[in-house]
Amino acid sequence: MQEKDNTRRKVLIGLTTAVSLSGIPFAATPFIASWNPSARAKAAGASVKVDVSKMQYGQQIQVAWRKQPVFIIRHTEESLKGLEVTLSKLRDPNSEDIEELYRGQNLTRSKSKEYSVIAGVCTHLGCSPKYHPEVEPKPWDASWAGGFFCPCHGSMFDMVGRVFKGVPAPTNLPVPPHFFNGSILTIGEDGELA
Amino acid sequence: MSEMPGKLFGWLNSRLPILNTYERHLSKHPVPSKVNFWYLFGALASVVLIIQIISGIWLIMPYSNTEEEAFASIEYIMRDVDYGWVIRYMHTTGASMFFAVVYLHMFRGLLYGSYQKPKELVWIFGCAIYLAMMAEGFLGYVLPYGQMSYWGAQVIISLFGAIPYIGDSLELWVRGDYYISGITVSRFFALHVVALPLVLIALVFLHLVALHEVGAGNPEGVDIEEFLDDDGIPLDSVPFFPYKVLNAFVAIGVFMTVFAIIMFFFPEGGGYFIEMANFEEANPLVTPEHIAPVWYYSPYYAMLRAVPDKLGGLIIMGSAVAILFVVPWLDNSKAASIRYKGIYSKIALAFFAISFLTLGYLGTVGVTEVRKTMSVICTFIYFAFFLLMPIYTKFEQTKEVPKRL
Amino acid sequence: MMNKHKFSFNFKWWQMPMFGFFVMSLACIFFLTDVNASEGGPCKDYGECDKFKYSLNDMESLQSGASTFMNYCYGCHSLQYSRWGRVATDLQIPEEIFFDTLVFDKSIKSGDLMTGSMSKDASVEWFGVAPPDLTLVSRVRGDDWIYSYLRAYYEDSSKQYGVNNLVYPGTAMPNVLMALQGSQKLICKNIPIIAGNGGEKRDQAGKALTKEKCGFLEVPEGSGQLTKDEFDKVIYDLTNFLVYVGEPSKATRERIGWYVIFYFLIFTAVSYMLYREYHKDYH
Repeated sequence: MQEKDNTRRKVLIGLTTAVSLSGIPFAATPFIASWNPSARAKAAGASVKVDVSKMQYGQQIQVAWRKQPVFIIRHTEESLKGLEVTLSKLRDPNSEDIEELYRGQNLTRSKSKEYSVIAGVCTHLGCSPKYHPEVEPKPWDASWAGGFFCPCHGSMFDMVGRVFKGVPAPTNLPVPPHFFNGSILTIGEDGELA
Repeated sequence: MSEMPGKLFGWLNSRLPILNTYERHLSKHPVPSKVNFWYLFGALASVVLIIQIISGIWLIMPYSNTEEEAFASIEYIMRDVDYGWVIRYMHTTGASMFFAVVYLHMFRGLLYGSYQKPKELVWIFGCAIYLAMMAEGFLGYVLPYGQMSYWGAQVIISLFGAIPYIGDSLELWVRGDYYISGITVSRFFALHVVALPLVLIALVFLHLVALHEVGAGNPEGVDIEEFLDDDGIPLDSVPFFPYKVLNAFVAIGVFMTVFAIIMFFFPEGGGYFIEMANFEEANPLVTPEHIAPVWYYSPYYAMLRAVPDKLGGLIIMGSAVAILFVVPWLDNSKAASIRYKGIYSKIALAFFAISFLTLGYLGTVGVTEVRKTMSVICTFIYFAFFLLMPIYTKFEQTKEVPKRL
Repeated sequence: MMNKHKFSFNFKWWQMPMFGFFVMSLACIFFLTDVNASEGGPCKDYGECDKFKYSLNDMESLQSGASTFMNYCYGCHSLQYSRWGRVATDLQIPEEIFFDTLVFDKSIKSGDLMTGSMSKDASVEWFGVAPPDLTLVSRVRGDDWIYSYLRAYYEDSSKQYGVNNLVYPGTAMPNVLMALQGSQKLICKNIPIIAGNGGEKRDQAGKALTKEKCGFLEVPEGSGQLTKDEFDKVIYDLTNFLVYVGEPSKATRERIGWYVIFYFLIFTAVSYMLYREYHKDYH
């Protein structure tokens, strides 16, 4: 009798515990989900448009997309050719370690042959690297051939944002989704969706 | 390996009274073995308190306490924030359910004499909790800055104006502006989310400590401490864990089902939980046609309207709450429970309950001549119940209270 | 029982106030019967509002309501807390179709708020008041009210726009749907007199007696593009859409609600069984 009671008890305790615990993830869902970007944040983080036709060759401009810096560079032919020079210094020249949206389309890594579009946030700890296009010896690299240098922890990237070997940054600067409509560059959309 | 947690616990326990507190106040705490459903609302109130604190913290995050954005930020929560509506409805439903549960809990107190010696302090802390809740609910209702927020606050703050000499300047001081503006909203916000919750939690703590010192009551009004076993544990008691906990589990299940039905299917409670006019942004120039408080204040609102004098109304309203505090000294009965009190106590309590519900109804509808008369009568009954209590409990014939449960 | 309580007829002094107390209580109960004194309903001269039952899972109805709103209402009324893309998603309209057919300003992006296409100053000049934002109108006024209001316009040459409204007398809004509905008129009718027993009152010849009663709405046949039923359906869809906009998560809320209730019923059942099991220990 006593034995039978205990089994029933154990089963019921297990059942009640299981039902109670299974409710916790559901109860937690709204509280966790409400921390996601809201519809307002998503709307504010939708695409931005820039007219890039007024940019000079070799010029870099910075636009904000989702309140984060995005670098647009209009390359000279020399600087594109110069990419060959630093190829051996790169950790991941073909961007195999990251999700590259427009892999293999252009030297610029973008959808255009002369403009690069790069997220201006260092993949190390989030500082914004500085643009140094000059081909001249720099304190951080005696054979500098132009590129990006991060002032926070000294990470180096080439002219199209690929990371150097032996620097703290682990991966290349990512390329955000974008498309060109004539000289109007839209950042944040792929062009195929809209 | 298996000794590690034990060792750690031993280390902790010799520095913090964990085991002792746990056994004394939870696992081995003796509770009367025979109680009825009226004794479950205290546990439910603490469940709602926890729901309110958690959902409240999450509502603070997207809420904006400025005059320009307060109303829009509520709609932002309802639409743009993922599951924001769940959290908001949880909080609004929780507010109403908190009062529902606490009203039933208080009625239990009147029914079974839960204020009688030696539980006076438990009762007084409880009344203080109720008072703090009324303030907390009022402040919270102002935050969405809708029409009812605005005009409700206008009416309540104007009550301060009834205080002689300092009234007008007090009103201005509370608002911090010439109307209920963003300045008022942001100070109410601070009080609602920080100051009063701290007070509430402190009072709940005191309420429970005092209760555990004198022991929980029972519907028979029997003092279970009189008959102890060899270990000094009352014979008519069971340990809190697991018996009382399981009792509470069932209650929580039923309660949460009701909670979910309201929250997911009737969150506005037919205009009694969230009033329709509060979906319109505050407009200091236009009073809504029909202005009524949320249901849990409406009995007092009806009393206020029953008195044709500004200061008088304030005094009646204040005394109606204040009189609860002195109930332990109004009841002269030898019996605690209504089961053993005389016929007069029974009838008085019944009529008191009816008049309170009637007042509650009257507070939500517009004024007519008949309704005004009714409010006056019901207000009289409300006070007569308390003021006559020393007389009828002293002279009426009570039944013999049994010794054991 | 009676003698136990000593409920005798010779009053003691302390019973006097108690007696007064009980009399007052009884008076209170007596008055309860009279409590439902008539209060003006929200639909004013229209009488009882027509009942409206929303159907938020009827996408066709919501889409048609959205279309009516965008074509007839959005010119003056904004839906400022609602976002374009959300409406398209919730109403299951593909975004391209939605933006091609219902969004007339091409600079609008999917995440934008529906802030209206009319400047507040111009509208005050035209209507005397700024047309209110309608995002929450279904929650402020109620769906019954909207459904009745939009069908209660009638010709009244004394008013600025030649129309008045039974639900909202003196409304500042012209009847923008008049082309669809036709020009509704307020008429008087002879109606049967109802006798005290609930039946129709008849004269000695058995003919039903009638009296003239006014305040009926009637649309002259053929004065609008739609029949009465078709027009009612248009208003139904429009109201349905406004209910949706008032609370876009309403359909989700009601769907999730069933699961939550189901969960707590199971929770109650298992904890009740466990409670009974342990209850044996002390009974």
